Amino acid sequence: MNAELNATVAKVRAVYGKRLTDSDYAELESRKTVGEAAEYLKKNTYYSDALANVDASSVHRGFLESLLHRAYYDRYEKLCRFQNLNDKPFYNFLLIRSEIRELLKALLFLNNDEKDVYIESMHAHLLRKARFDMIELAKAPGYDALLQVIRHTPYYNVLKGIEPFKDGHIPYTKCEVALRTYYHKWLFDTAEKELSGNAGAALSDQIKIQVDVINLINAYRMKKFFSAGADEIRSKMLPFYGKLSKEKQNLLFETRTPEEFIHMLAGTVYGRRMELTDENMSSEQFEKELIKMRCTAAKRSLTFSDNAAVSIYSYMYLSEVEFSNIISIIESIRYNKSVSYMENLIVKL
Amino acid sequence: MSIEKMEYVIIAGLLKNLDISLEKCVESGCFHMGDASKDVIDTSEGLKRLDEENPYRNFLRRIIAIETGDDFEFSEDSFEDITAMPESEAEEFVSDAEKEFNEAAKEISQCNSEIKERNLILTQLRHLKGMNIDLGKLLSCTHIKVRFGKLPCDSYEKLSYYGDRTFIFVPYDDDGSYKWGFYFAPGNSIAETDNIFKTLYFEHISVPDFVKDSPSAEEVKITEDIKRLESQKAFAEKKLEQLIAQKGKILNKIFCRTKYRYDIFEMRRNAAVYNDKFYIAGFIPKSEEKKFCRLLDSIDEVSVVVKPAENSGGVKTPVRLKTNRFSKPFSMFVEMYGLPSYNGFNPTTLVAVTYTLLFGIMFGDLGQGLLLALLGFFIYRKSKNKLGAIMERIGISSAFFGLIYGSVFGFEHLLDPVYQKIGLKHKPLEVMDNTNTILIGAIAIGVVIILISIIISIIINIRRREYAEAVFGNNGAAGLIFFTALLAGLAGTLTGKANLFTLPYVLGLIVLPLIVMFFREPLGCLVSGKKFHMEGGIGDFLASNFFEVFEFFLGYATNTLSFVRIGGFIFSHAGMMSVVMLLSESVSKGASPIVIILGNLFVMGMEGLIVGIQVLRLEFYEIFSRFYDGSGLAFEPAVIKYNTDIE
Repeated sequence: MNAELNATVAKVRAVYGKRLTDSDYAELESRKTVGEAAEYLKKNTYYSDALANVDASSVHRGFLESLLHRAYYDRYEKLCRFQNLNDKPFYNFLLIRSEIRELLKALLFLNNDEKDVYIESMHAHLLRKARFDMIELAKAPGYDALLQVIRHTPYYNVLKGIEPFKDGHIPYTKCEVALRTYYHKWLFDTAEKELSGNAGAALSDQIKIQVDVINLINAYRMKKFFSAGADEIRSKMLPFYGKLSKEKQNLLFETRTPEEFIHMLAGTVYGRRMELTDENMSSEQFEKELIKMRCTAAKRSLTFSDNAAVSIYSYMYLSEVEFSNIISIIESIRYNKSVSYMENLIVKL
Repeated sequence: MSIEKMEYVIIAGLLKNLDISLEKCVESGCFHMGDASKDVIDTSEGLKRLDEENPYRNFLRRIIAIETGDDFEFSEDSFEDITAMPESEAEEFVSDAEKEFNEAAKEISQCNSEIKERNLILTQLRHLKGMNIDLGKLLSCTHIKVRFGKLPCDSYEKLSYYGDRTFIFVPYDDDGSYKWGFYFAPGNSIAETDNIFKTLYFEHISVPDFVKDSPSAEEVKITEDIKRLESQKAFAEKKLEQLIAQKGKILNKIFCRTKYRYDIFEMRRNAAVYNDKFYIAGFIPKSEEKKFCRLLDSIDEVSVVVKPAENSGGVKTPVRLKTNRFSKPFSMFVEMYGLPSYNGFNPTTLVAVTYTLLFGIMFGDLGQGLLLALLGFFIYRKSKNKLGAIMERIGISSAFFGLIYGSVFGFEHLLDPVYQKIGLKHKPLEVMDNTNTILIGAIAIGVVIILISIIISIIINIRRREYAEAVFGNNGAAGLIFFTALLAGLAGTLTGKANLFTLPYVLGLIVLPLIVMFFREPLGCLVSGKKFHMEGGIGDFLASNFFEVFEFFLGYATNTLSFVRIGGFIFSHAGMMSVVMLLSESVSKGASPIVIILGNLFVMGMEGLIVGIQVLRLEFYEIFSRFYDGSGLAFEPAVIKYNTDIE
């Protein structure tokens, strides 16, 4: 990683400059139908290429979502291809994450006996990219068959030790934690191997914040919706400690109520960067605040880092938030939700 | 040139004469109505605004809605010859026109939609080409059901998942995003298959009943059909053309008459009414007072009171800039920034002179200047665009300075014989050999412009009776003395001719004005006899004034240095043209003229635009910021707008 990749850094910043603006979000929110929103994206934003060949006015919501996801993934591939970064292991991070997501989706639908639903929701543009046969994955009738499909991938070793329950159901949460742990460990290891000095520290910082955000969201949800105790929460957390030490995390998990959790979080390095004015805030509001904070960190590293890996990693996070913003707006339009409802869901970049 | 003097006018009369009064106001072409009447209503009891439904609205809407096609547009025309036409006759004419025009338009639109439909089918059939099947038979199968359409390529990849289902998808074309094709399934499983394809975002395309043959045969038939529809459409269009020729003129006249009446009626809303009397207030230019009064005097029982604009009782007086022939187009730049206030200063002439001079200096080339002027001449003649007229003027200025620099389309020695003939050894100014002279000259121009701006600011402030700002401000006398003394001192020291920086000079002409500017607020209060309140305490006062005075000081320095760009662009122009010449020498003799022409066009296009913008920037930032507020209201006389926009 050196100055010769500055072109990629500049390219990433240029692509980031094309992101949806506040006025784009306002325009999208004011649309009455999914078709109108798609038409706006096609005519006025950098999604126009992705939607060029579709009749935006009558496009199906699910198809639109898959096209937008494809655009998001294509952007990542394009950035990696720009200076032939594809052969460097770290730049596979989004592929690995996408594979894990597909795997988790397949497990979830298998557990619910909804294989046909999985094939519908599968991101088909990953079919030729994933390192396992996604069609076979969708066809797998049970856990063992599914493991056979991924036998030649690193995920096999991650999941093989997890036994299904007696009733045949797969312990989904255990699988999720195991796969996510694998992914983040891979990220930390690869970043350490490939980057050193400031760039390594900056990337490691981004990953640490990401891990902390995932842990905080999960812990808060478990506390708010299941009144989970500290031990239960600890067992379902990713075993990494980013900017929050083990002791601080434990103190948070040991809080008795969600309000206490927020009160304690407010005194931490993250809490100080968030607007935690209301201890009774909804789960959505809490998650939005965390994502806002995570976006600020990503934006800062995108602005100040001159390293391609840090820039792409940070940008892809921001791009993912934009993707989920659009999906939230489209869903809200579909269910006739108000503009203020949409505003509460989206995180402007 | 200044700002046109305005008069405040109140027209009063019997309500029955309101329409005729408004007509005369429009006829005068110099009556600015705006919201002036609102003020009369607000301040007088019993007066109310007329709020009636416009009786011409529906008829006008009907006329505008007539589908006259793209070749006819309603436009301003005299309707004197149909003034006597009774309303009923006009109504009848419009009804007939409505019927005939709409019938022809409907036929055209029907043909268009049928052509569109057939073209869509043709697109489908073209994707099916090569498949020798009888579509009619295929679609009429009882036990096998067929669906035509397109499947996203991504979804196509998922089809292998459904290998055990009883359907087959046959793709026959691929456009990169979609696989065009059809699927068929037994009748008893078609519903399930339809559901699967729905989840795969298959877009079903219905094939109309009349498609019965093989794709190739159908293509021929439909192409024939399209031809038939095209000729049917052409016939309808011809009919529409004839209708326009027969009835268009009268229809347009009826439109103009109705629009005139409609707009006049709309203007009634600006009148204030008390019992059976009306009042309208507005502004007219003083120069047109007699003409205006003569027009209104012709109406019985209507009186006109004319007062100086200053007595308008707080109603904002509109502004019309007075310009001469030379400066007129430059009012575009002034309006772009915002009009001056009524008692402000009209900077159009200053802009015209400085813009023309600065552009000429920065873009000096005899050939390019003349070409620019010529281009501007044609643009102005063709479109009346003010930018064209500006290009004429700055082009000539550019040509004049080109003569001084001896540059013609980048040829630096083409004019040498001319100079020798008039007794000069060489060109008056060799740009590349006089770097310092040009840069110092640029700063000198800047200093003169800044001094002029400060003097204008002082005059405006005195006129507005804002004496504190005129005397103690950074754009007042204190600023003027400080700036002049500092520059004079620097000039004397740098040239070595005289060291002006003696103790009395520094204390009296530099330090004292700075102290005056520092204490400008308390001094202002002292002069005007007001009590000075020090908000935030002495510490705040000292700190904020220190930084403000520091900013003034920086402002003088940066504003002056900003004019260095004038010199910079002289060099940049000469440099760019020398690159063009070098390039032309490096190519073959045949290609050389092409390089010179393209190079000249490139430099004219790019540098001309940049210089134009830079000079405008100097105008707005370095000149206007010293005295101009741009908060004036534009003078807009009441007119009839012969367009189709109605509320």
